[in-house]
Amino acid sequence: MDFDLAYLMAQGPALMRGLWLTIQVSLLSIVLSVLVGLLGAAARVMEVPVLDPAVRAYVEFIRNTPMLAQLFFIFYGLPGIGLKLSLFWSGVLCLTLWAGAYQVENLRGGLATVGKGLREASYALGLTPWRFFHLVAAPLAIRVALPAMLNTAISLLKNSSYLQAIGLAELTYVAIDRISMDFRTIEMFAAICVIYLALVLVLSFLASRLEFRLNAPFRH
Amino acid sequence: MNPLAGLDLLLKNLPFILQGLGMTLALSLTTLLFVTVLSGLLGIAATLRFRSLRVLVRVWVELFRDIPLIVNIFLVFFVAPLAGLDLTPFWAVTVGLSLWGSANGAEIVRSGLNAVPRHQWQSAAALGLKTWEVYGFITGPQALRAILPPFVGLLTLLIQATSLGALVGVGEFFKVGQIIVERTTMMEGRNPAFLVYGAVLVTYFVICSGLSWFGRWLERRLGRTQSRPAPAGAVASPAPAPQLP
Repeated sequence: MDFDLAYLMAQGPALMRGLWLTIQVSLLSIVLSVLVGLLGAAARVMEVPVLDPAVRAYVEFIRNTPMLAQLFFIFYGLPGIGLKLSLFWSGVLCLTLWAGAYQVENLRGGLATVGKGLREASYALGLTPWRFFHLVAAPLAIRVALPAMLNTAISLLKNSSYLQAIGLAELTYVAIDRISMDFRTIEMFAAICVIYLALVLVLSFLASRLEFRLNAPFRH
Repeated sequence: MNPLAGLDLLLKNLPFILQGLGMTLALSLTTLLFVTVLSGLLGIAATLRFRSLRVLVRVWVELFRDIPLIVNIFLVFFVAPLAGLDLTPFWAVTVGLSLWGSANGAEIVRSGLNAVPRHQWQSAAALGLKTWEVYGFITGPQALRAILPPFVGLLTLLIQATSLGALVGVGEFFKVGQIIVERTTMMEGRNPAFLVYGAVLVTYFVICSGLSWFGRWLERRLGRTQSRPAPAGAVASPAPAPQLP
């Protein structure tokens, strides 16, 4: 059994198309999940009636069920009540809901570090709750929550490979599809492992740069 | 859709469903066993003096945490036969999950051991205890306090991850749900996906949230009895959360 580099080169364009879809789905879901996280964490920290327990239940449910089952429920189950989404949007919805739950917890943890004294001081200075939130609490909380948030984003990128199970032609799907046709197993796995590792390492590197920059005011 | 017809469908398939749950349990327990042993060994190796050993653990942890879990399982499933290993789907999934789980478990064990105040180690060594005695009687038992709660968290993630067995054809709980949906669609011409996958989600939720609750209880319980405070300079770091699949 030899390593057929020429074969891999020939499959390059197909793999790149898969990679491109992986990146599209992941980036879109990362942005949306951070939004979900921000709204959810705000609802929880401000103890909005109804919303607070609802967000809590949502987070508990997502964290204690397999993402694969969530995905099948969204893609195969929801049409049963008249909600039919395309492959792509089912994937985005699933990844957003999944990562969103973790982002709520990450951001809530960050907001919890913003002391009560700061809030009282802000109110005493006449800041509205909203201005306190985005001028005082959020900038502090995001710095604390950032490492965990980026970790979740990286997990989301890796979990986008789950979408191959419903047939979205992302990177893993392309590789498995080719393996079942050409049996070039080693080549394909080597390729996608290297690609995923590179993606994760690049994201981790960007994450550490971002952390470094955001911490600038606190460095001595 | 008539809800009673759905309930009827679940009742009719009850033996099949229980069989799937049994398979999920078997898969989880086998994996847990491997993960526990591997995590212990790797985690201890990461705290020993030998640099090469530490580097090796680092590479293991980074590699199996950074590759998506699905790819990991497919890799074992497809590549093992090429290496002459004839693994059944059950064992392919067990190996794949164990590699991933041990990478996360090793980090938990390592940080648990590192969280034991340094003077405990030094005092034990000064009393003439051998390395294995220090781990076995001094730092190990104290580290368990920090290790157990996140390890329960890892176990819930492992149980959730066993659902990936369905992708390579292990007849575990999620696969059973999938088969019931397909069978009903083909034979009766109606699609029970909403109900069946909903029931699957609820079942996993009951199992995993029960375990999560147990983990939190354990954390409170173990956190109550503190070991002697560390002297100034010995800083304990908290255990990291396991990285998700």
